[in-house]
Amino acid sequence: MNRSIVTLAMMGLAGVANAAAPPANHRNFVACPIVRDTSSVPCWLAEYEGETYFLTIQTDVSAPVNPPWLGHKVLVEGTVSDEPRICGGIVLKPVALSVMQELDGSCNTMLPAEERYNLTFEPPRPPGPSKGRLAFGDPVTKPQSAADVASKSFELRYEFDSLVMFRHAQPLQQILEHARQSGASRVQITGYRAATLLSNGQLMREDEQMGRRRAEQVADLLRGAGLTDLKYDVKWQDETKRARGVDDAALRRVQVVVDR
Amino acid sequence: MKAKVRIAIGVGAGLWIGAVLAAQSLDRIADNGVPGASKQNVAGHVPDQNRQAQQAPVAESKSPPANRWWTPGEGTPLAPLIAYPNSFGQLGVLNQAGVIETKGHPFFEPIGENGRACVSCHQPANAMSLSVEMIEQRWRETQGQDPIFAPIDGMNCPDLPAGDPKSHSLLLERGLFRIFLPWPPKAEDGSRIEPEFTMEVVRDPTGCNLHPKYGLKSENPMVSVYRRPRVAANTKYFTHQGFGVFSFIGKNGLPATRDPETGLPSGMNILADARQPTLKTQAVEAAITHLQFNGKLDEARLEKIVGFESQVYTAQISHQGAGSLMESDTPPGLGVANVAKGREGLLGNNVTNFVFPMSEQWRKPAPSSDPETARRNEMRASIARGHDVFMFRTFWIKDAMHLNTVGLGNPTKRTCSTCHGMHMMGMDIANGWMDLGTTNLPWAREEPLNPWNERKPQLPLFKITCNAGVPPHPFLGRVFYTQDPGRALISGKCNDVGAIVMQQFRGLAARAPYFANGSAGSLRELVDFYDRRFNIGYTDQERDDLINFLSAL
Repeated sequence: MNRSIVTLAMMGLAGVANAAAPPANHRNFVACPIVRDTSSVPCWLAEYEGETYFLTIQTDVSAPVNPPWLGHKVLVEGTVSDEPRICGGIVLKPVALSVMQELDGSCNTMLPAEERYNLTFEPPRPPGPSKGRLAFGDPVTKPQSAADVASKSFELRYEFDSLVMFRHAQPLQQILEHARQSGASRVQITGYRAATLLSNGQLMREDEQMGRRRAEQVADLLRGAGLTDLKYDVKWQDETKRARGVDDAALRRVQVVVDR
Repeated sequence: MKAKVRIAIGVGAGLWIGAVLAAQSLDRIADNGVPGASKQNVAGHVPDQNRQAQQAPVAESKSPPANRWWTPGEGTPLAPLIAYPNSFGQLGVLNQAGVIETKGHPFFEPIGENGRACVSCHQPANAMSLSVEMIEQRWRETQGQDPIFAPIDGMNCPDLPAGDPKSHSLLLERGLFRIFLPWPPKAEDGSRIEPEFTMEVVRDPTGCNLHPKYGLKSENPMVSVYRRPRVAANTKYFTHQGFGVFSFIGKNGLPATRDPETGLPSGMNILADARQPTLKTQAVEAAITHLQFNGKLDEARLEKIVGFESQVYTAQISHQGAGSLMESDTPPGLGVANVAKGREGLLGNNVTNFVFPMSEQWRKPAPSSDPETARRNEMRASIARGHDVFMFRTFWIKDAMHLNTVGLGNPTKRTCSTCHGMHMMGMDIANGWMDLGTTNLPWAREEPLNPWNERKPQLPLFKITCNAGVPPHPFLGRVFYTQDPGRALISGKCNDVGAIVMQQFRGLAARAPYFANGSAGSLRELVDFYDRRFNIGYTDQERDDLINFLSAL
């Protein structure tokens, strides 16, 4: 299916279906992100049903959660925490953010710093240079030597309707290194298409071909990086029916099993 | 092959004959049958380039010796340390290997058909690049017959009238050489890459993209873009195997190119579009495209070229206001001696390594009653403040592909050193292509047409339409315009359009103009571009300090 059609549909009515709502302490919605400056790093917020939610502070490539983009809507999948508000927003934690691919010029809100919204904690890195290390850990680390196991499983997680991106460099490197070090003979790759249950009860499904595309892309990338002598077993699966509004982001994934 | 006229003056004709005899057939190389990386060091796009290079005429050329100019084949030994004046002071070229015997050296000899050597476009006086001021000087000295004006790429398009400055306007006015690449792109093994976008020629002022013999619809379809020669020195820094160099690119998760000999991933920081993984593969391509060498250079010459490039360093060694940059109290980030002994593969966007380490002595010099010393100290303090602007002055970086998209968010409140983070170089630490807007509209230099002057756009303009089956460009949408698609000419990716590998900061004072398309004629224009692009709002003081800092590198 044409991806642009899917995305447009996703933002409207087609492509989403009504289902039971997620638990009350979950907030799954699509909205324009908002960036608010502070005296240190900016905060990222989003509004839903008249309330402001805190998504994340500005981070870097090594962070587990990365800020969204102005110029695009964001899919927010989070749990309301009992932490004090940050930058005026209710803290969603854990939270998964997916940048919607189509441009949206209406998502352009930048708020100035205000004393009352300054962070009450020191961010892992200031807005300029770091303190000598990546604030959230090395995004691509050379893995330990392969354990003597017959089979090892890896998982790559994805943003909604998205293929491989910067954060996959590390797990792909780990797969590559493990396959080389263990003398692997076969790799099983399963790509999953998923859906997310929004707080308004609608089910937002990924592109119909997303599971296949993810699986095939991972196989291509591993071959492209030099793993050409392995037997590739590439499959894909539709898991859109598993969406419950809780941790649906974890369903968007590729599972890779490397066998000796 | 078209008959050629070749009259080379000076040393090199005999070597040229030997070179041709020694050359291997590119057809044979292209047919090596090696999937993926080529063991012959010839990337998939190069045989097509060779066809065009051999189609193009070779003009009569002469390259007489001149002040500050290294003539191909002149045979003068290259001293361990040479100083060249420029408008900000002096540039130094340091050879760690000691005296370089250039006689017979393939970097310095005219090994191709057009009389050029590597040194033609990588001149020591210009920080191993080539300034537009030097190009103009060379035009005057040779009446346009120096080999740098060779039709293949020193002309806007190869079949324009020889000897007419208009035929060479991009080189004479902006220091740009023509880069011709097959379109659609070719993979390492020569197979066709299906691009994610279509490319329409909207404007073709050079005539080359629509040319029946050299253009996109020719028998050997080629796109022509125009770029500055990059600095062939300080190479250990941008070919490092340290921080951030892995098998998968940290910016997009795709496989990095690999050294065809070792299989090791490349940092992909050598050329503007990262199309060559190593100095050796770059030399093979450059000999074919720029020197019109018909074949693959043999291993002995490749080793000598790479060996030379791996030991030569360049940086400013004195500053007209700040004095010598070769003293024991010179800040560790300045001066060619410090560049030569610096550590490669380090991320410098932090307060432990720093990108260009400064010193407190310069930042806060002791008071002096001597007016000359006081003036020198004031310039040193300005350079130190400029460093702090580079390192610590925050602004909103917005809509920059391969920066805002790699986990920082859009916009991100950061500093110059966020992108320019490689210790001692100011390049990106690895896989350094980004779209700052130097070639993509709306930010690229484009003067609106008007009836009040005769200036016309100099560069080609392409309309890019991203295919429906792929995501649109994150910040420019599905349809946009560019003067140079950059990395996308190699990858075929929509979101790579206009992404250019950033260049090192060394020797800036000696090699204007700046950016890959020469769109900034001076350091002030360079700083002003960023000021406009990111709405930074530099004060006059910040701007002056930043320029002083850049001019001392």
